[in-house]
Amino acid sequence: MNTRESPELAELWAPVALRTGLVWSLFGVWYRHVRVYCQTFLANATPPILEPLFFFTAIAIGLGSYMSKGLFDGLPYPTYVASGLLVASAMFTAVFETTYNTFVRLIYQKTYDAMLGTHLRISEMFIGEMLFSATKGAVFASVVLLITLLFGVRPTVWCLFVPVIGFLTAYMFAAIGLIVTSYVKTITNFSFFSTGVITPLFFFSGTFFPVRGHHWAIDTISMLVPLTHPIELSRALFKAEFTLATGMHLAMLLAFIVLLHSISLRRMAKRVLR
Amino acid sequence: MTLTRPNNPVVLARGLTKEFGDLKAVAGVDFEIASNECIGFLGPNGAGKTTLMRIIYSAVEKTAGDLTVFGMEPMRQRKEINARVGVVFQDNNLDQELRAADTLLVHALYCGLDRRTARRRIATLLDWMELSEKAKSTIRALSGGMVRRLMIARALLHSPRLLILDEPTTGLDPQVRHAIWALLRDLKRRGLTILLTTHYMEEAQQLSERVMIMDHGQIIRSGEPNTLITHHLERYVLQASGLAEIPALDGKVRHEHAGDADYFYSNAEEPLQALYDALPTRHVVLRHANLEDVFLKFTGRGLSQ
Repeated sequence: MNTRESPELAELWAPVALRTGLVWSLFGVWYRHVRVYCQTFLANATPPILEPLFFFTAIAIGLGSYMSKGLFDGLPYPTYVASGLLVASAMFTAVFETTYNTFVRLIYQKTYDAMLGTHLRISEMFIGEMLFSATKGAVFASVVLLITLLFGVRPTVWCLFVPVIGFLTAYMFAAIGLIVTSYVKTITNFSFFSTGVITPLFFFSGTFFPVRGHHWAIDTISMLVPLTHPIELSRALFKAEFTLATGMHLAMLLAFIVLLHSISLRRMAKRVLR
Repeated sequence: MTLTRPNNPVVLARGLTKEFGDLKAVAGVDFEIASNECIGFLGPNGAGKTTLMRIIYSAVEKTAGDLTVFGMEPMRQRKEINARVGVVFQDNNLDQELRAADTLLVHALYCGLDRRTARRRIATLLDWMELSEKAKSTIRALSGGMVRRLMIARALLHSPRLLILDEPTTGLDPQVRHAIWALLRDLKRRGLTILLTTHYMEEAQQLSERVMIMDHGQIIRSGEPNTLITHHLERYVLQASGLAEIPALDGKVRHEHAGDADYFYSNAEEPLQALYDALPTRHVVLRHANLEDVFLKFTGRGLSQ
Protein backbone atom coordinates (compact mmCIF):
# COMPACT_ATOMS: atom_id res chain seq x y z
CA MET A 1 0.00 0.00 0.00
CA ASN A 2 1.08 3.57 -0.55
CA THR A 3 2.28 5.12 2.67
CA ARG A 4 2.09 8.79 1.66
CA GLU A 5 -1.15 10.38 2.75
CA SER A 6 -2.52 12.63 0.07
CA PRO A 7 -5.43 14.96 0.83
CA GLU A 8 -7.55 12.84 -1.52
CA LEU A 9 -6.79 9.75 0.56
CA ALA A 10 -7.61 11.53 3.81
CA GLU A 11 -10.90 12.66 2.28
CA LEU A 12 -11.80 9.06 1.49
CA TRP A 13 -12.63 8.30 5.13
CA ALA A 14 -14.77 11.35 5.78
CA PRO A 15 -18.55 11.02 5.49
CA VAL A 16 -19.83 11.65 1.98
CA ALA A 17 -23.20 12.99 0.83
CA LEU A 18 -25.43 10.27 -0.65
CA ARG A 19 -28.55 10.86 -2.70
CA THR A 20 -30.70 7.95 -1.64
CA GLY A 21 -34.03 9.16 -3.02
CA LEU A 22 -36.17 7.16 -5.42
CA VAL A 23 -35.22 8.99 -8.61
CA TRP A 24 -31.45 8.68 -8.07
CA SER A 25 -31.79 5.04 -7.12
CA LEU A 26 -33.81 4.26 -10.24
CA PHE A 27 -31.31 6.17 -12.34
CA GLY A 28 -28.42 4.20 -10.81
CA VAL A 29 -29.98 0.86 -11.68
CA TRP A 30 -31.08 2.02 -15.13
CA TYR A 31 -27.61 3.39 -15.84
CA ARG A 32 -25.99 0.08 -14.89
CA HIS A 33 -28.10 -1.83 -17.40
CA VAL A 34 -27.57 0.74 -20.14
CA ARG A 35 -23.83 0.68 -19.52
CA VAL A 36 -23.54 -3.11 -19.62
CA TYR A 37 -25.88 -3.32 -22.63
CA CYS A 38 -23.86 -0.79 -24.61
CA GLN A 39 -20.65 -2.66 -23.85
CA THR A 40 -21.90 -5.51 -26.04
CA PHE A 41 -24.23 -3.46 -28.18
CA LEU A 42 -23.84 -5.15 -31.55
CA ALA A 43 -24.34 -8.66 -30.25
CA ASN A 44 -27.26 -7.47 -28.12
CA ALA A 45 -29.13 -5.37 -30.60
CA THR A 46 -28.62 -7.06 -33.94
CA PRO A 47 -30.97 -10.08 -33.62
CA PRO A 48 -33.94 -8.16 -32.19
CA ILE A 49 -33.66 -5.59 -35.00
CA LEU A 50 -33.21 -8.15 -37.77
CA GLU A 51 -36.02 -10.47 -36.67
CA PRO A 52 -38.94 -8.06 -37.21
CA LEU A 53 -37.34 -7.11 -40.52
CA PHE A 54 -37.43 -10.72 -41.69
CA PHE A 55 -41.08 -10.98 -40.69
CA PHE A 56 -41.84 -7.71 -42.39
CA THR A 57 -40.17 -8.53 -45.70
CA ALA A 58 -41.46 -12.14 -45.78
CA ILE A 59 -45.04 -11.47 -44.77
CA ALA A 60 -45.89 -7.83 -45.47
CA ILE A 61 -43.88 -7.52 -48.67
CA GLY A 62 -43.64 -11.14 -49.85
CA LEU A 63 -46.96 -12.67 -48.88
CA GLY A 64 -48.61 -9.24 -49.08
CA SER A 65 -47.81 -8.96 -52.79
CA TYR A 66 -50.22 -11.85 -53.46
CA MET A 67 -53.06 -10.14 -51.63
CA SER A 68 -55.70 -7.90 -53.12
CA LYS A 69 -54.78 -4.24 -52.91
CA GLY A 70 -57.74 -3.56 -50.63
CA LEU A 71 -57.41 -2.14 -47.16
CA PHE A 72 -56.79 -4.18 -44.05
CA ASP A 73 -58.65 -2.72 -41.11
CA GLY A 74 -58.46 0.59 -42.97
CA LEU A 75 -54.71 0.31 -43.74
CA PRO A 76 -52.58 -0.99 -46.63
CA TYR A 77 -51.30 -4.45 -45.63
CA PRO A 78 -47.59 -3.47 -45.16
CA THR A 79 -48.63 -0.60 -42.91
CA TYR A 80 -50.98 -2.90 -41.02
CA VAL A 81 -48.15 -5.39 -40.36
CA ALA A 82 -45.57 -2.69 -39.54
CA SER A 83 -47.85 -1.14 -36.94
CA GLY A 84 -48.15 -4.54 -35.24
CA LEU A 85 -44.52 -5.58 -35.63
CA LEU A 86 -43.11 -2.52 -33.93
CA VAL A 87 -45.17 -3.36 -30.86
CA ALA A 88 -44.12 -7.01 -31.04
CA SER A 89 -40.45 -6.02 -31.17
CA ALA A 90 -40.90 -4.01 -27.96
CA MET A 91 -42.49 -7.09 -26.42
CA PHE A 92 -39.67 -9.39 -27.49
CA THR A 93 -36.88 -7.19 -26.21
CA ALA A 94 -38.57 -6.69 -22.84
CA VAL A 95 -39.45 -10.33 -22.33
CA PHE A 96 -35.98 -11.49 -23.24
CA GLU A 97 -34.42 -8.93 -20.91
CA THR A 98 -36.38 -9.91 -17.83
CA THR A 99 -36.39 -13.66 -18.37
CA TYR A 100 -33.02 -14.92 -19.62
CA ASN A 101 -30.98 -11.84 -18.72
CA THR A 102 -32.57 -11.37 -15.31
CA PHE A 103 -32.07 -15.05 -14.54
CA VAL A 104 -28.38 -14.83 -15.47
CA ARG A 105 -27.99 -11.76 -13.23
CA LEU A 106 -29.87 -13.50 -10.43
CA ILE A 107 -28.18 -16.90 -10.45
CA TYR A 108 -24.85 -16.63 -12.26
CA GLN A 109 -23.63 -13.04 -12.05
CA LYS A 110 -25.17 -12.30 -8.63
CA THR A 111 -25.80 -8.74 -9.74
CA TYR A 112 -28.71 -8.33 -7.33
CA ASP A 113 -26.57 -9.50 -4.42
CA ALA A 114 -24.24 -6.60 -5.16
CA MET A 115 -27.23 -4.24 -5.24
CA LEU A 116 -28.57 -5.68 -1.98
CA GLY A 117 -25.33 -4.61 -0.32
CA THR A 118 -26.30 -0.99 -0.97
CA HIS A 119 -29.20 1.12 0.25
CA LEU A 120 -31.26 0.28 -2.86
CA ARG A 121 -34.72 -1.08 -2.15
CA ILE A 122 -35.73 -4.25 -3.93
CA SER A 123 -38.58 -2.35 -5.57
CA GLU A 124 -36.08 0.21 -6.86
CA MET A 125 -33.85 -2.52 -8.24
CA PHE A 126 -36.65 -3.98 -10.32
CA ILE A 127 -38.47 -0.81 -11.29
CA GLY A 128 -35.11 0.39 -12.60
CA GLU A 129 -34.80 -2.82 -14.53
CA MET A 130 -38.29 -2.49 -16.04
CA LEU A 131 -37.56 1.13 -16.95
CA PHE A 132 -34.46 -0.06 -18.77
CA SER A 133 -36.51 -2.67 -20.66
CA ALA A 134 -39.08 0.01 -21.46
CA THR A 135 -36.35 2.29 -22.78
CA LYS A 136 -35.21 -0.50 -25.07
CA GLY A 137 -38.83 -1.04 -26.13
CA ALA A 138 -39.17 2.63 -27.08
CA VAL A 139 -35.96 2.51 -29.11
CA PHE A 140 -36.74 -0.78 -30.85
CA ALA A 141 -40.29 0.21 -31.79
CA SER A 142 -38.92 3.44 -33.26
CA VAL A 143 -36.19 1.63 -35.20
CA VAL A 144 -38.72 -0.82 -36.67
CA LEU A 145 -40.90 2.13 -37.63
CA LEU A 146 -38.01 3.95 -39.31
CA ILE A 147 -36.90 0.89 -41.25
CA THR A 148 -40.39 0.01 -42.47
CA LEU A 149 -40.76 3.61 -43.66
CA LEU A 150 -37.97 2.81 -46.12
CA PHE A 151 -40.18 0.03 -47.49
CA GLY A 152 -42.97 2.48 -48.26
CA VAL A 153 -45.01 2.33 -45.07
CA ARG A 154 -46.98 5.60 -44.76
CA PRO A 155 -46.86 7.21 -41.31
CA THR A 156 -49.09 9.88 -39.84
CA VAL A 157 -47.98 12.68 -37.56
CA TRP A 158 -49.40 10.61 -34.68
CA CYS A 159 -46.61 8.09 -35.24
CA LEU A 160 -44.46 10.41 -33.12
CA PHE A 161 -46.13 8.55 -30.25
CA VAL A 162 -44.67 5.20 -31.37
CA PRO A 163 -41.85 5.41 -28.78
CA VAL A 164 -44.47 5.87 -26.07
CA ILE A 165 -46.35 2.75 -27.22
CA GLY A 166 -43.04 0.87 -27.36
CA PHE A 167 -42.17 2.07 -23.86
CA LEU A 168 -45.50 1.04 -22.33
CA THR A 169 -45.57 -2.30 -24.13
CA ALA A 170 -42.07 -3.14 -22.99
CA TYR A 171 -42.78 -2.08 -19.40
CA MET A 172 -45.78 -4.40 -19.30
CA PHE A 173 -43.89 -7.34 -20.76
CA ALA A 174 -40.87 -6.68 -18.54
CA ALA A 175 -43.20 -7.12 -15.57
CA ILE A 176 -44.57 -10.35 -17.07
CA GLY A 177 -41.01 -11.58 -17.61
CA LEU A 178 -40.07 -10.85 -13.99
CA ILE A 179 -43.11 -12.73 -12.73
CA VAL A 180 -42.14 -15.77 -14.82
CA THR A 181 -38.51 -15.51 -13.68
CA SER A 182 -39.58 -15.45 -10.05
CA TYR A 183 -40.99 -18.97 -10.47
CA VAL A 184 -38.35 -20.48 -12.74
CA LYS A 185 -35.84 -22.95 -11.29
CA THR A 186 -33.56 -23.58 -14.26
CA ILE A 187 -32.91 -21.49 -17.32
CA THR A 188 -34.31 -24.13 -19.71
CA ASN A 189 -37.78 -23.61 -18.20
CA PHE A 190 -38.04 -20.35 -20.11
CA SER A 191 -38.50 -22.17 -23.40
CA PHE A 192 -41.98 -23.26 -22.23
CA PHE A 193 -42.84 -19.63 -21.69
CA SER A 194 -41.39 -18.33 -24.95
CA THR A 195 -42.86 -21.13 -27.09
CA GLY A 196 -46.08 -21.55 -25.13
CA VAL A 197 -46.95 -17.93 -24.45
CA ILE A 198 -44.90 -15.38 -26.37
CA THR A 199 -44.99 -17.06 -29.78
CA PRO A 200 -48.80 -17.53 -29.77
CA LEU A 201 -49.21 -13.95 -28.55
CA PHE A 202 -47.08 -12.79 -31.44
CA PHE A 203 -49.15 -14.63 -34.04
CA PHE A 204 -52.64 -14.33 -32.55
CA SER A 205 -52.81 -10.80 -31.14
CA GLY A 206 -53.49 -9.10 -34.44
CA THR A 207 -49.96 -8.54 -35.69
CA PHE A 208 -50.61 -10.16 -39.09
CA PHE A 209 -54.38 -10.41 -39.35
CA PRO A 210 -57.43 -9.11 -37.43
CA VAL A 211 -58.30 -11.63 -34.76
CA ARG A 212 -61.56 -10.06 -33.70
CA GLY A 213 -64.87 -10.09 -35.49
CA HIS A 214 -65.05 -13.86 -36.08
CA HIS A 215 -66.69 -15.10 -32.91
CA TRP A 216 -67.72 -13.44 -29.65
CA ALA A 217 -65.61 -15.87 -27.58
CA ILE A 218 -62.45 -15.00 -29.50
CA ASP A 219 -63.25 -11.32 -29.14
CA THR A 220 -63.56 -11.70 -25.37
CA ILE A 221 -60.30 -13.63 -25.08
CA SER A 222 -58.47 -11.11 -27.21
CA MET A 223 -59.48 -8.35 -24.79
CA LEU A 224 -57.72 -10.25 -22.00
CA VAL A 225 -54.56 -10.77 -24.02
CA PRO A 226 -52.03 -8.08 -23.09
CA LEU A 227 -50.51 -7.61 -26.55
CA THR A 228 -53.88 -6.77 -28.16
CA HIS A 229 -54.13 -3.33 -26.59
CA PRO A 230 -50.82 -1.75 -27.60
CA ILE A 231 -51.25 -3.15 -31.12
CA GLU A 232 -54.67 -1.54 -31.38
CA LEU A 233 -53.22 1.71 -30.07
CA SER A 234 -50.38 1.58 -32.57
CA ARG A 235 -52.90 1.03 -35.35
CA ALA A 236 -54.91 4.02 -34.20
CA LEU A 237 -51.76 6.11 -34.62
CA PHE A 238 -51.31 4.91 -38.21
CA LYS A 239 -55.00 5.45 -39.00
CA ALA A 240 -55.03 8.78 -37.13
CA GLU A 241 -58.44 7.67 -35.95
CA PHE A 242 -59.26 7.80 -32.25
CA THR A 243 -62.54 6.41 -30.96
CA LEU A 244 -64.00 5.29 -27.67
CA ALA A 245 -62.41 1.89 -28.34
CA THR A 246 -58.97 3.55 -28.52
CA GLY A 247 -59.51 5.03 -25.09
CA MET A 248 -60.59 1.66 -23.79
CA HIS A 249 -57.42 0.01 -25.16
CA LEU A 250 -55.29 2.67 -23.50
CA ALA A 251 -57.14 2.15 -20.22
CA MET A 252 -56.69 -1.62 -20.47
CA LEU A 253 -52.97 -1.25 -21.22
CA LEU A 254 -52.45 1.03 -18.22
CA ALA A 255 -54.50 -1.28 -15.99
CA PHE A 256 -52.40 -4.26 -17.07
CA ILE A 257 -49.22 -2.29 -16.34
CA VAL A 258 -50.31 -1.27 -12.84
CA LEU A 259 -51.41 -4.79 -11.97
CA LEU A 260 -48.40 -6.63 -13.41
CA HIS A 261 -45.98 -4.06 -11.99
CA SER A 262 -47.14 -4.66 -8.43
CA ILE A 263 -47.27 -8.45 -8.80
CA SER A 264 -43.77 -8.55 -10.28
CA LEU A 265 -42.28 -6.47 -7.46
CA ARG A 266 -43.85 -8.66 -4.81
CA ARG A 267 -42.69 -11.84 -6.55
CA MET A 268 -39.12 -10.64 -7.08
CA ALA A 269 -38.82 -9.46 -3.46
CA LYS A 270 -39.72 -12.98 -2.41
CA ARG A 271 -37.26 -14.47 -4.85
CA VAL A 272 -34.32 -12.23 -3.97
CA LEU A 273 -34.69 -12.02 -0.17
CA ARG A 274 -33.60 -15.52 0.64
CA MET B 1 -14.11 -14.32 30.45
CA THR B 2 -14.99 -10.65 30.74
CA LEU B 3 -16.69 -8.84 27.95
CA THR B 4 -16.83 -5.08 28.08
CA ARG B 5 -20.32 -3.93 27.28
CA PRO B 6 -20.13 -1.19 24.69
CA ASN B 7 -22.48 1.73 25.21
CA ASN B 8 -23.55 2.17 21.63
CA PRO B 9 -22.95 -1.09 19.87
CA VAL B 10 -22.78 -0.97 16.08
CA VAL B 11 -24.55 -4.31 15.94
CA LEU B 12 -26.67 -5.75 18.73
CA ALA B 13 -28.33 -9.16 18.41
CA ARG B 14 -30.53 -10.93 20.92
CA GLY B 15 -31.98 -14.37 20.21
CA LEU B 16 -31.54 -13.73 16.51
CA THR B 17 -32.99 -16.60 14.48
CA LYS B 18 -33.43 -17.43 10.82
CA GLU B 19 -35.24 -20.52 9.64
CA PHE B 20 -35.43 -21.79 6.08
CA GLY B 21 -38.29 -24.25 6.31
CA ASP B 22 -37.08 -26.87 8.77
CA LEU B 23 -33.50 -25.68 8.69
CA LYS B 24 -32.38 -23.34 11.45
CA ALA B 25 -29.61 -21.44 9.68
CA VAL B 26 -29.20 -19.06 12.61
CA ALA B 27 -30.46 -20.51 15.86
CA GLY B 28 -30.86 -17.79 18.48
CA VAL B 29 -27.57 -15.92 18.64
CA ASP B 30 -26.65 -13.09 21.03
CA PHE B 31 -23.74 -10.78 20.41
CA GLU B 32 -22.75 -7.17 20.19
CA ILE B 33 -20.11 -5.37 18.23
CA ALA B 34 -18.60 -2.12 19.46
CA SER B 35 -17.51 0.73 17.27
CA ASN B 36 -14.07 0.22 15.67
CA GLU B 37 -13.94 -3.42 16.72
CA CYS B 38 -12.94 -6.19 14.35
CA ILE B 39 -14.95 -9.34 14.89
CA GLY B 40 -14.38 -12.66 13.16
CA PHE B 41 -17.13 -15.20 12.72
CA LEU B 42 -15.52 -18.60 12.43
CA GLY B 43 -17.24 -21.74 11.41
CA PRO B 44 -17.41 -24.63 9.00
CA ASN B 45 -19.40 -24.31 5.77
CA GLY B 46 -23.10 -24.18 6.54
CA ALA B 47 -22.59 -22.90 10.09
CA GLY B 48 -24.80 -19.89 9.38
CA LYS B 49 -22.13 -17.20 9.03
CA THR B 50 -23.18 -15.88 5.64
CA THR B 51 -26.87 -15.88 6.58
CA LEU B 52 -26.04 -13.88 9.68
CA MET B 53 -24.18 -11.28 7.59
CA ARG B 54 -27.06 -11.12 5.12
CA ILE B 55 -29.54 -10.43 7.92
CA ILE B 56 -27.35 -7.51 9.06
CA TYR B 57 -27.46 -5.81 5.65
CA SER B 58 -31.15 -6.64 5.05
CA ALA B 59 -30.66 -9.22 2.31
CA VAL B 60 -32.47 -11.84 4.40
CA GLU B 61 -35.34 -11.32 6.78
CA LYS B 62 -34.91 -12.66 10.32
CA THR B 63 -37.48 -15.14 11.58
CA ALA B 64 -37.29 -14.17 15.26
CA GLY B 65 -35.25 -12.27 17.82
CA ASP B 66 -33.97 -8.72 17.91
CA LEU B 67 -31.31 -7.05 15.85
CA THR B 68 -30.24 -3.44 15.62
CA VAL B 69 -27.52 -2.02 13.39
CA PHE B 70 -26.40 1.52 14.28
CA GLY B 71 -29.43 1.46 16.58
CA MET B 72 -31.78 0.90 13.65
CA GLU B 73 -33.83 -2.04 12.50
CA PRO B 74 -32.72 -3.91 9.35
CA MET B 75 -35.41 -4.32 6.65
CA ARG B 76 -37.45 -1.43 8.09
CA GLN B 77 -34.54 1.01 7.89
CA ARG B 78 -32.65 -0.68 5.11
CA LYS B 79 -31.70 2.59 3.39
CA GLU B 80 -30.41 4.35 6.48
CA ILE B 81 -28.42 1.31 7.62
CA ASN B 82 -26.93 0.31 4.30
CA ALA B 83 -25.83 3.87 3.55
CA ARG B 84 -23.31 3.22 6.36
CA VAL B 85 -22.48 -0.39 5.52
CA GLY B 86 -20.06 -1.69 2.90
CA VAL B 87 -20.21 -5.34 1.86
CA VAL B 88 -17.44 -7.44 0.30
CA PHE B 89 -19.00 -10.57 -1.11
CA GLN B 90 -17.61 -14.05 -1.24
CA ASP B 91 -18.43 -14.40 -4.95
CA ASN B 92 -17.06 -12.11 -7.59
CA ASN B 93 -20.22 -10.19 -8.46
CA LEU B 94 -18.55 -7.30 -10.22
CA ASP B 95 -20.07 -6.53 -13.62
CA GLN B 96 -17.96 -8.83 -15.75
CA GLU B 97 -18.63 -6.99 -19.00
CA LEU B 98 -17.39 -3.65 -17.71
CA ARG B 99 -13.96 -2.20 -17.15
CA ALA B 100 -12.69 -1.99 -13.57
CA ALA B 101 -13.26 1.75 -13.15
CA ASP B 102 -16.71 1.52 -14.76
CA THR B 103 -17.93 -1.27 -12.50
CA LEU B 104 -16.98 1.01 -9.58
CA LEU B 105 -18.77 3.95 -11.20
CA VAL B 106 -21.94 1.91 -11.63
CA HIS B 107 -21.81 0.91 -7.98
CA ALA B 108 -21.11 4.46 -6.85
CA LEU B 109 -24.27 5.59 -8.63
CA TYR B 110 -26.29 2.85 -6.88
CA CYS B 111 -24.95 4.28 -3.65
CA GLY B 112 -26.13 7.75 -4.63
CA LEU B 113 -22.80 9.52 -5.16
CA ASP B 114 -22.80 12.26 -7.74
CA ARG B 115 -20.71 11.48 -10.77
CA ARG B 116 -17.96 14.01 -10.01
CA THR B 117 -17.41 12.78 -6.46
CA ALA B 118 -17.64 9.21 -7.67
CA ARG B 119 -14.88 9.66 -10.24
CA ARG B 120 -12.61 11.37 -7.73
CA ARG B 121 -13.10 8.67 -5.11
CA ILE B 122 -12.66 5.89 -7.66
CA ALA B 123 -9.32 7.36 -8.79
CA THR B 124 -8.15 7.69 -5.17
CA LEU B 125 -9.25 4.19 -4.21
CA LEU B 126 -7.70 2.56 -7.26
CA ASP B 127 -4.47 4.42 -6.56
CA TRP B 128 -4.51 3.41 -2.88
CA MET B 129 -5.16 -0.22 -3.83
CA GLU B 130 -2.41 -0.08 -6.48
CA LEU B 131 -4.94 -0.86 -9.18
CA SER B 132 -4.66 2.37 -11.19
CA GLU B 133 -3.01 0.60 -14.09
CA LYS B 134 -5.94 -1.79 -14.27
CA ALA B 135 -8.62 0.91 -14.36
CA LYS B 136 -9.34 0.18 -18.01
CA SER B 137 -9.01 -3.61 -17.84
CA THR B 138 -12.13 -5.71 -18.00
CA ILE B 139 -12.90 -7.73 -14.90
CA ARG B 140 -12.16 -10.97 -16.72
CA ALA B 141 -8.57 -9.85 -17.25
CA LEU B 142 -7.88 -9.40 -13.52
CA SER B 143 -6.25 -11.91 -11.18
CA GLY B 144 -8.09 -13.26 -8.14
CA GLY B 145 -6.22 -10.92 -5.80
CA MET B 146 -7.00 -7.88 -7.95
CA VAL B 147 -10.66 -8.83 -8.08
CA ARG B 148 -10.75 -9.04 -4.30
CA ARG B 149 -9.05 -5.68 -3.87
CA LEU B 150 -11.44 -4.18 -6.39
CA MET B 151 -14.37 -5.58 -4.43
CA ILE B 152 -13.00 -4.02 -1.25
CA ALA B 153 -12.57 -0.72 -3.11
CA ARG B 154 -16.16 -0.97 -4.28
CA ALA B 155 -17.39 -1.50 -0.72
CA LEU B 156 -15.55 1.66 0.39
CA LEU B 157 -16.92 4.00 -2.29
CA HIS B 158 -19.60 5.55 -0.08
CA SER B 159 -17.37 5.82 3.01
CA PRO B 160 -19.14 3.22 5.16
CA ARG B 161 -18.64 2.97 8.94
CA LEU B 162 -19.14 -0.80 9.06
CA LEU B 163 -17.41 -3.12 6.61
CA ILE B 164 -18.75 -6.66 6.24
CA LEU B 165 -16.45 -9.17 4.54
CA ASP B 166 -17.61 -12.67 3.71
CA GLU B 167 -14.55 -14.92 3.50
CA PRO B 168 -12.29 -12.16 2.16
CA THR B 169 -9.29 -14.33 1.35
CA THR B 170 -10.79 -17.69 0.39
CA GLY B 171 -9.03 -19.03 -2.70
CA LEU B 172 -6.17 -16.50 -2.65
CA ASP B 173 -2.47 -17.28 -2.53
CA PRO B 174 -0.47 -16.49 0.66
CA GLN B 175 1.11 -13.25 -0.59
CA VAL B 176 -2.25 -11.82 -1.55
CA ARG B 177 -3.80 -12.96 1.71
CA HIS B 178 -1.17 -11.13 3.71
CA ALA B 179 -1.61 -8.01 1.58
CA ILE B 180 -5.38 -8.10 2.18
CA TRP B 181 -4.85 -8.54 5.90
CA ALA B 182 -2.53 -5.52 5.97
CA LEU B 183 -5.20 -3.57 4.11
CA LEU B 184 -7.92 -4.55 6.58
CA ARG B 185 -5.74 -3.64 9.57
CA ASP B 186 -5.17 -0.28 7.92
CA LEU B 187 -8.93 0.20 7.52
CA LYS B 188 -9.44 -0.58 11.19
CA ARG B 189 -6.82 2.01 12.16
CA ARG B 190 -8.82 4.50 10.14
CA GLY B 191 -11.82 3.90 12.35
CA LEU B 192 -13.92 1.34 10.50
CA THR B 193 -15.78 -1.38 12.33
CA ILE B 194 -15.05 -4.69 10.65
CA LEU B 195 -17.07 -7.85 10.63
CA LEU B 196 -15.67 -10.83 8.77
CA THR B 197 -16.48 -14.45 8.29
CA THR B 198 -13.79 -16.96 7.64
CA HIS B 199 -12.84 -20.55 8.05
CA TYR B 200 -9.18 -19.65 8.24
CA MET B 201 -8.24 -19.60 11.90
CA GLU B 202 -5.08 -17.68 11.13
CA GLU B 203 -7.12 -14.95 9.51
CA ALA B 204 -9.31 -14.58 12.58
CA GLN B 205 -6.28 -14.60 14.85
CA GLN B 206 -4.44 -12.01 12.72
CA LEU B 207 -7.28 -9.54 12.41
CA SER B 208 -9.91 -9.83 15.08
CA GLU B 209 -10.04 -8.69 18.66
CA ARG B 210 -12.79 -11.16 19.28
CA VAL B 211 -13.91 -14.26 17.47
CA MET B 212 -17.23 -16.05 17.57
CA ILE B 213 -17.08 -19.72 16.76
CA MET B 214 -20.27 -20.79 15.01
CA ASP B 215 -21.60 -24.26 14.38
CA HIS B 216 -25.11 -25.37 13.42
CA GLY B 217 -26.37 -21.78 13.54
CA GLN B 218 -25.20 -21.14 17.09
CA ILE B 219 -22.29 -19.23 18.58
CA ILE B 220 -20.70 -21.98 20.59
CA ARG B 221 -17.72 -20.01 21.95
CA SER B 222 -16.66 -16.41 21.77
CA GLY B 223 -13.83 -14.28 23.06
CA GLU B 224 -10.38 -12.98 22.39
CA PRO B 225 -8.44 -15.49 20.24
CA ASN B 226 -5.55 -15.94 22.70
CA THR B 227 -7.86 -16.17 25.70
CA LEU B 228 -9.90 -18.82 23.94
CA ILE B 229 -6.78 -20.85 23.31
CA THR B 230 -5.38 -20.60 26.83
CA HIS B 231 -8.77 -21.25 28.42
CA HIS B 232 -9.60 -24.33 26.48
CA LEU B 233 -6.31 -25.96 25.58
CA GLU B 234 -2.79 -26.67 26.73
CA ARG B 235 -0.05 -24.45 25.34
CA TYR B 236 1.63 -26.95 23.04
CA VAL B 237 0.45 -29.57 20.61
CA LEU B 238 2.32 -32.40 18.99
CA GLN B 239 0.52 -33.67 15.95
CA ALA B 240 1.53 -36.97 14.38
CA SER B 241 -0.01 -39.21 11.78
CA GLY B 242 0.40 -42.86 10.93
CA LEU B 243 1.49 -44.03 14.37
CA ALA B 244 1.38 -47.82 14.76
CA GLU B 245 1.30 -47.62 18.55
CA ILE B 246 1.05 -44.91 21.16
CA PRO B 247 4.16 -44.52 23.32
CA ALA B 248 3.83 -44.43 27.10
CA LEU B 249 2.97 -40.92 28.23
CA ASP B 250 3.67 -39.16 31.49
CA GLY B 251 0.82 -37.54 33.38
CA LYS B 252 1.45 -34.08 31.91
CA VAL B 253 0.55 -35.13 28.38
CA ARG B 254 -3.01 -35.53 27.17
CA HIS B 255 -3.68 -37.68 24.13
CA GLU B 256 -6.44 -37.51 21.52
CA HIS B 257 -6.98 -39.65 18.46
CA ALA B 258 -8.91 -38.55 15.38
CA GLY B 259 -8.89 -40.18 11.97
CA ASP B 260 -5.32 -41.32 11.25
CA ALA B 261 -3.83 -38.57 13.43
CA ASP B 262 -2.81 -38.43 17.08
CA TYR B 263 -2.65 -35.23 19.11
CA PHE B 264 -0.57 -34.82 22.25
CA TYR B 265 -1.23 -31.75 24.38
CA SER B 266 0.87 -30.34 27.18
CA ASN B 267 1.50 -27.05 28.96
CA ALA B 268 5.21 -27.86 29.07
CA GLU B 269 7.28 -28.13 25.95
CA GLU B 270 9.87 -30.71 27.21
CA PRO B 271 7.72 -33.86 27.34
CA LEU B 272 6.44 -33.15 23.83
CA GLN B 273 9.98 -32.46 22.60
CA ALA B 274 11.05 -35.82 24.00
CA LEU B 275 8.08 -37.45 22.30
CA TYR B 276 8.95 -35.68 19.04
CA ASP B 277 12.47 -37.14 19.11
CA ALA B 278 11.20 -40.60 19.99
CA LEU B 279 8.43 -40.97 17.42
CA PRO B 280 9.36 -43.04 14.36
CA THR B 281 7.20 -41.17 11.84
CA ARG B 282 8.33 -38.17 9.79
CA HIS B 283 4.82 -36.73 9.73
CA VAL B 284 5.05 -35.00 13.05
CA VAL B 285 4.73 -31.35 14.03
CA LEU B 286 5.35 -29.68 17.37
CA ARG B 287 3.75 -26.27 17.70
CA HIS B 288 1.80 -23.84 19.86
CA ALA B 289 -1.86 -24.63 20.24
CA ASN B 290 -3.84 -22.31 17.99
CA LEU B 291 -7.35 -21.27 17.26
CA GLU B 292 -7.76 -24.14 14.86
CA ASP B 293 -7.30 -26.61 17.72
CA VAL B 294 -9.93 -24.79 19.75
CA PHE B 295 -12.21 -24.74 16.77
CA LEU B 296 -11.79 -28.42 16.10
CA LYS B 297 -12.20 -29.23 19.77
CA PHE B 298 -15.66 -27.68 19.73
CA THR B 299 -16.84 -28.49 16.23
CA GLY B 300 -15.33 -31.97 16.17
CA ARG B 301 -12.43 -33.35 14.18
CA GLY B 302 -14.61 -35.69 12.15
CA LEU B 303 -16.11 -35.10 8.72
CA SER B 304 -19.63 -35.30 10.15
CA GLN B 305 -20.57 -31.85 8.84
